[in-house]
Amino acid sequence: MRPCSREMQGMNSLLNPSSQIPLQDLQNQQIQNSHFDPNLSSNEDFLEQMLSSCSWADPKSPWDLNPPTNLPFPTNNSSSSAKHRDLFNETPSSNSDSNNVGFRNSFDESVILASKLRQHQISCGNGAAVSDAAKMMLPQQLLMAVARGGLSLNDDIDGSLSQGGDGSIQGLFNGFGAGSMNGTDGASNQSMQHFNHPQARLAAVLQGGAMQSPNLGAHGAPATTAVMNQPQASGSNGGAPAQPRQRVRARRGQATDPHSIAERLRRERIAERMKALQELVPNANKTDKASMLDEIIDYVKFLQLQVKVLSMSRLGGAAAVAPLVADMSSEAGGDCIQANDNGGSLARTTNGNQTASTNDNSLTVTEHQVAKMMEEDMGTAMQYLQGKGLCLMPISLATAISTATCHNRTSGIINSHAHLHQSNGEGPTSPSMSVLTVQSMTMGNGGGDGVAKDAASVSKP
Amino acid sequence: MASKHTIATRHAQGIRARFASRFLRSLLRVRRSSNRFGGSQSNDEGIGKRIRTDRIKIAAYAAMARAVGPRRTWSRALLFKLRNRARIHGVSRKRCLVSEKKRVTRNKVVAISREPSRADTLRKLVPGGDSMDTCVLLEETAHYIKCLATQVTVMQSIADRLLL
Repeated sequence: MRPCSREMQGMNSLLNPSSQIPLQDLQNQQIQNSHFDPNLSSNEDFLEQMLSSCSWADPKSPWDLNPPTNLPFPTNNSSSSAKHRDLFNETPSSNSDSNNVGFRNSFDESVILASKLRQHQISCGNGAAVSDAAKMMLPQQLLMAVARGGLSLNDDIDGSLSQGGDGSIQGLFNGFGAGSMNGTDGASNQSMQHFNHPQARLAAVLQGGAMQSPNLGAHGAPATTAVMNQPQASGSNGGAPAQPRQRVRARRGQATDPHSIAERLRRERIAERMKALQELVPNANKTDKASMLDEIIDYVKFLQLQVKVLSMSRLGGAAAVAPLVADMSSEAGGDCIQANDNGGSLARTTNGNQTASTNDNSLTVTEHQVAKMMEEDMGTAMQYLQGKGLCLMPISLATAISTATCHNRTSGIINSHAHLHQSNGEGPTSPSMSVLTVQSMTMGNGGGDGVAKDAASVSKP
Repeated sequence: MASKHTIATRHAQGIRARFASRFLRSLLRVRRSSNRFGGSQSNDEGIGKRIRTDRIKIAAYAAMARAVGPRRTWSRALLFKLRNRARIHGVSRKRCLVSEKKRVTRNKVVAISREPSRADTLRKLVPGGDSMDTCVLLEETAHYIKCLATQVTVMQSIADRLLL
């Protein structure tokens, strides 16, 4: 991909008098790229040089000495393409023609037109710049030699193509325009198998060069990419095909290069896996792959931490749980609520544990708060409790629990969302449980009674 | 007996039931063993609980891995790791470290010193993630997350039931 685009770039620069890419580089590229047969007579070299030079000439490129050559493609194409179509023995080509036809046409055309140009140039001496460009394009002969391999000069066509004067140069462009029109069929993969690698590449290059007109960019790209078996297709990621200048790019999803196909497959597989993961992981509104991965990593860590905490809760050791609580409250606070329901409540419970254990005052305050809220709205009260990691419980049940757990292992985390009980959750032994129970009874009789009565009716949120 | 159990649980409401049954049994085993050794938990405040915590955690992961079966790369890797750990615990601690390192480096994808990308972090988290390419890694992660979530829910419900 890279060498070819560079070579085209180099060719383009050659057309500009102020070439930036040194000839040396071009030569090197050519030598690298091509394994073509350089056995050409000088005449033919020249011809093909012209051909190649013309093929990459952007219509707007500053080929100063021949302003007529910088004709916009679209205006000429329709007329010339019709004319050129008639000339060839293949079926009249339209945009939907197979590239095979198109390429044959273009090859014939190009050779013919090149010969025309040469004749014109020799006769008129007009193409001073052309000759210069031709000389500069000496290395390009290699490419042309390949094209020649599959072509047959058709002198008959010469006459019909004669336009004389500047028209021949114009004709070259037109021919390429026609060729480009012909070769716009995207499904040309099979056709390109007829050609050798180098031929195909050259054809692609020619087509690509011919299609540098932005108007034809969209059409040209698929044909060129179809042709390009080499990694010349600059990835199906290639943005707009109408990119400036001689960079032939593959349109999205059109690359025929096996490497890019495999890569595209791989990328698609990864994308669908990411989508599947998105559904599993909460907070999956991230569109960016990187942030999605971060989210996934965090979620896996969170789940593993939950398993750890749950295994600790079997023991119910406050000491073991307490160090986790800080982590849970800080890290998992936001996640818990959206994440696994149980997990969330667990986190909140542990959070509530710590707060309750550290400060009894806060507990009384909480109770008062809850009592007040329960007078207004039960739902918000329950939510408030749940947020704190507490919940309501009939006193009888609370006493039952306290007696049950006093000789059992220390009651660890009592999950708030599953049961109606009010507990500080933490509390290593029963005394604290009974304390809480007492507290709840003295909480505020109005609220307390309400609690006792309503506890049964309040359902699990 | 083991085969009967597997057959019975193979189709029983998927992975959740399988995991639950295995986990409960292993939990009972851990309880019994801890009771045998330490009496009550308040015996040894710090270390005893930690050991028991680890045992429970390991039991949970092992139960999950067995419930999934050897179909998944991560479950295979997890079982392998647990088995080795159990075996090596019996031998000696020092040998354990050495062999673990060896094992890890053998399976690891070519170690290039670069900033750990997100995929590498994920590889560390998912068991057996070292020897997976990105595509497979994502797939395994998805399944792993699903199983972890069911594990958490089951453990949670067990914890609830146990405490009441």
